[in-house]
Amino acid sequence: MQRRPLVARHPSILIFLALLALFTLGVTLLSEAYGTGYLSTSFVKTLGKTLCLCLVAVAMDLVWGYAGILSLGHFAFFGLGGYMIGMWLMYERTRDIVAGSMAEAAIPPTEQEIVDAIGTQIFGVVGASEFPAIWAFADSLLLQLVLVVAVPGLLALVFGWLAFRSRVTGVYLSILTQAMTLALALYLFQNDSGLRGNNGLSGLQNIPGLTDVPQSHVSMWFLWASAAALALGYVLSAWIVSGKFGSVLRGIRDNEARVRFLGYPVEQYKLMIFTVTAMIAGIAGALYYPQAGIINPAEIAPIASIYLAVWVAIGGRGRLYGAVIGAAFVSLVSSWFTGGQAPDVNLGFYTISWVDWWLILLGLSFVAVTIFAPRGIGGLVDLIADARRPDRHGADLGPDQGALREKEADR
Amino acid sequence: MSTLLEVSGVSVTFDGFRAINNLSFNIGPAELRAIIGPNGAGKTTFMDIVTGKTKPDEGRVLWGEKNVSLLKMSEAQIAQAGIGRKFQRPTVFEDQSVEDNLLMALARPRGPLSVLFWRASQKALSRVRELAEEIGLADQLSRKSGELSHGQKQWLEIGMLLAQEPKLLLVDEPAAGMTPEEREHTTSLLVEAAKTRAVVVVEHDMEFVRRLNCKVTVLHEGSVLAEGKLDHVTANQKVIDVYLGR
Repeated sequence: MQRRPLVARHPSILIFLALLALFTLGVTLLSEAYGTGYLSTSFVKTLGKTLCLCLVAVAMDLVWGYAGILSLGHFAFFGLGGYMIGMWLMYERTRDIVAGSMAEAAIPPTEQEIVDAIGTQIFGVVGASEFPAIWAFADSLLLQLVLVVAVPGLLALVFGWLAFRSRVTGVYLSILTQAMTLALALYLFQNDSGLRGNNGLSGLQNIPGLTDVPQSHVSMWFLWASAAALALGYVLSAWIVSGKFGSVLRGIRDNEARVRFLGYPVEQYKLMIFTVTAMIAGIAGALYYPQAGIINPAEIAPIASIYLAVWVAIGGRGRLYGAVIGAAFVSLVSSWFTGGQAPDVNLGFYTISWVDWWLILLGLSFVAVTIFAPRGIGGLVDLIADARRPDRHGADLGPDQGALREKEADR
Repeated sequence: MSTLLEVSGVSVTFDGFRAINNLSFNIGPAELRAIIGPNGAGKTTFMDIVTGKTKPDEGRVLWGEKNVSLLKMSEAQIAQAGIGRKFQRPTVFEDQSVEDNLLMALARPRGPLSVLFWRASQKALSRVRELAEEIGLADQLSRKSGELSHGQKQWLEIGMLLAQEPKLLLVDEPAAGMTPEEREHTTSLLVEAAKTRAVVVVEHDMEFVRRLNCKVTVLHEGSVLAEGKLDHVTANQKVIDVYLGR
């Protein structure tokens, strides 16, 4: 029996990559920069950001849908990735401006004078002008790129090591991850955290060295980069879950104790998947925030990570394309409703304004999906593939809290 | 005869209840042993202690020729040292195929990195096929194990245990809920397995124990009440009083 290549065993990977390529090509042809101009630059940015959200949803699916760890803190890693790239963007951009204005002075400024001026520019809003120690590498793109994966990875490693070693599971772990993201957000809100407090980092859409390139072009480049990152992240994730490692992960999700008695060091597996997905989330964040233009601590509020779980649940957990569908669908619909584009519904006695009511609609759909369609939107694919549910007489696929329910599984 | 597992003077208390009371137990490297006893006699707790799930308050649990203490090891380390366990209710990974279940159990490196890069070799696949034939599931390899019948799941779990190549097999009520034919198959699987390794079977069903035809240990209130041939222990007055007489 010859072992077939990954894509032959999982045709969904090829279909996904083809659809993603088609989408990217379509957007390119309709963009202002390279096509007919049907899509506005701001909408191209929305689409590019959506691709980043899809990538972090894939990471969430790995950690929750496959390994059964309901982490409600992955948006903290996403935000950290954004902060890390934001530091370089802001530093270099400010340096360009400062150096430009100082060049006209009679005496050429010294290197130290420029750095001081950058500090005054960046930290003026929080009443400081000194560079905190965490900005030590802000002048090096390469080092900040390393930090994009290293900082979320290290935080996940330390947090995960402490949590998994003490065998914290289920709801307790979810609460701990919420506490982690809340603590991080509160810390960053402080002015002396060194990352400009609640002002956050701004002007990130201006890429240093590319100031002459119009935003319509830059937005397309970021969309391509986001699509490439999503494709790579998707293939990497599919590869991780395809082999025995995936078997062990799903085993941990459904019946952790049994995996342990087979001799697998469960904690190491959890720690590894937690850390790897945190790094993927960091990369997604680093691509997201230059498109958003601004990052502030509100981005990593606990609710953001809960949204992430809602996307994956609505898309269908335990299948990578489900996470992508869920993130894309819900975040696009969300920006439609909250962007004021959705027409208000006039009931005569009351007008439903979607900007206010969207969250309630989302909550109701989440409850409805959980109860009536546990396989989510991705479950529609099973209608075509004619996959059936196993007959387990209502029992879950394993005794653990994270185990798939009968209705979520396919034969 | 040398000992593979030596449990001596072990006690464990849960909230004031003495589940295991000064228990001592030995088994050799290729031996079949049945443990019987009424409910609450400490049979499952005994297995929990040996596999590292429960830490005893006092006593020693020594393993192998080098007499390593199992008390300092984690469940995973104990399993890697060569102790396999089958639970009372069949616990297989229901979401995964019979083949994946067996592949996961195969004795191979268990670390995350080596597993990540591990791909099934020809040898591993043929070993899985061989095991599947032994447990009578050769035509079910690609089926999801959640669909198997209760008896088939029990065999799959025994197959997974054999795949682990353990030196000691702990089997909790293997015949529970099985048809008479299935019981017979299970008996022969266990007897066969005990030729090359130690097998401890916890069982309620006297008829099943009789068919295993091996030395029997009777537990009562957390310690050993009697030990010997089945006919010998069933003739013991204390055993009749606490167990058989009911």
